[in-house]
Amino acid sequence: MKKAQAGTLQSSDLMVFLEPAETLTVTIESAVLKQFGALIRAKVDEVLARHGVESGEVRITDRGALDYAIEARLETALARATEA
Amino acid sequence: MVTSLLSSDDLQQARALIEESGLSFDPPFDDMVGIFQGRRLVAVGARQGRVLKMLVVAADHQGGSLLDEVVTELVGRGFQNGIDSFFIFTAPGHATSFERLNFNLLVSSGKSALLEYGDGLRRYLARHQPLVLPGHNGAVVANCNPFTLGHRYLIEQAAASVEHLYLFVVREEKSLFPFDCRFRMVREGTGHLENVTLLDTSCYAVSSVTFPTYFLKDGDPGGGIQMELDLLLFASRIAPHFHIATRFVGSEPLSQTTAAYNAAMHRVLPPLGVGVRELARTERLGAAISASRVREKLCRKETAGLEELVPESTLEFLLSAEGRKIWQKGVPT
Repeated sequence: MKKAQAGTLQSSDLMVFLEPAETLTVTIESAVLKQFGALIRAKVDEVLARHGVESGEVRITDRGALDYAIEARLETALARATEA
Repeated sequence: MVTSLLSSDDLQQARALIEESGLSFDPPFDDMVGIFQGRRLVAVGARQGRVLKMLVVAADHQGGSLLDEVVTELVGRGFQNGIDSFFIFTAPGHATSFERLNFNLLVSSGKSALLEYGDGLRRYLARHQPLVLPGHNGAVVANCNPFTLGHRYLIEQAAASVEHLYLFVVREEKSLFPFDCRFRMVREGTGHLENVTLLDTSCYAVSSVTFPTYFLKDGDPGGGIQMELDLLLFASRIAPHFHIATRFVGSEPLSQTTAAYNAAMHRVLPPLGVGVRELARTERLGAAISASRVREKLCRKETAGLEELVPESTLEFLLSAEGRKIWQKGVPT
């Protein structure tokens, strides 16, 4: 895995940053963390599991993105992180 | 669409837009980007290292997503260049426009606010969590360029009067000796002190973000506000994390900038619960020991008498092949 990033800082979107690391850490910053933090986290975990990601630093800053946006941005970042 | 501003016409428009908003056009920068509507530039922003600056949206285009687009582009490009945390200085009244974009307000004084995107401070503190000890602790922040007997004296005195002393070595690579050499000299010169823990300042104290003029020669008009933010950040975010109740500093008879920083320390830290103890410098051969005095000697390729100014461990390093390579280039002090 190499460093990669996807998404924007615009409203209803999110920014995903991936960096290589020995263990898997996920941090999420969001204006709606209180209400939706657990749902965002579950979505992120689901995508990471589906792609077999077991290590790396995943940082997300969210501005109220919907499920499918989270999935799309994270998958794009993962694709960029693993492309040659 | 966000594009790079490169041509002289682009830059002229950028300057006009920035100055119209009341900011000043402030080179240098690593990246400058903007958004055009037709041929007119309506949004601009720049990045210098970790700092985003000159972010302006034309008055008749505010309220949309142009600022978000400019910041997205600058952050994306910075990330590709190895930067994972970004800073903005702005007027306190504008802080909320950036908080909306997930910037965190680190510190705010009367005239200026410092915000960060990327959660770097929290990650820095979390990384050093294993070093946190309870008690009445102290701190020294020092560049140690190179580590001298003056540093050692300050650290010994400080360590003797607190339960635990945190020694923050300036991370910034703006000094004659690279960080890893400075850190090694400090480790070897303080190994005899059991209650001292070494760590680096990252970019959160005396860095080109929090206190850029420290690395310049004396006298910068904007330096005053900067050093105040640097100290506020230390007192409000770093000191509480490490239970630091006292910051120790050597008196400064030589450098104006450092003397002003010491004075600001006495003014800013105590109201926030961090005491300041300024210790008189050790003198040798009729003058205070300072790292700059050591560098001046090295600059003149003069190694006799160094043992009066630096501990044996530093001397060994300075005279090693690795050490000589650094100072024999004849870099100015």
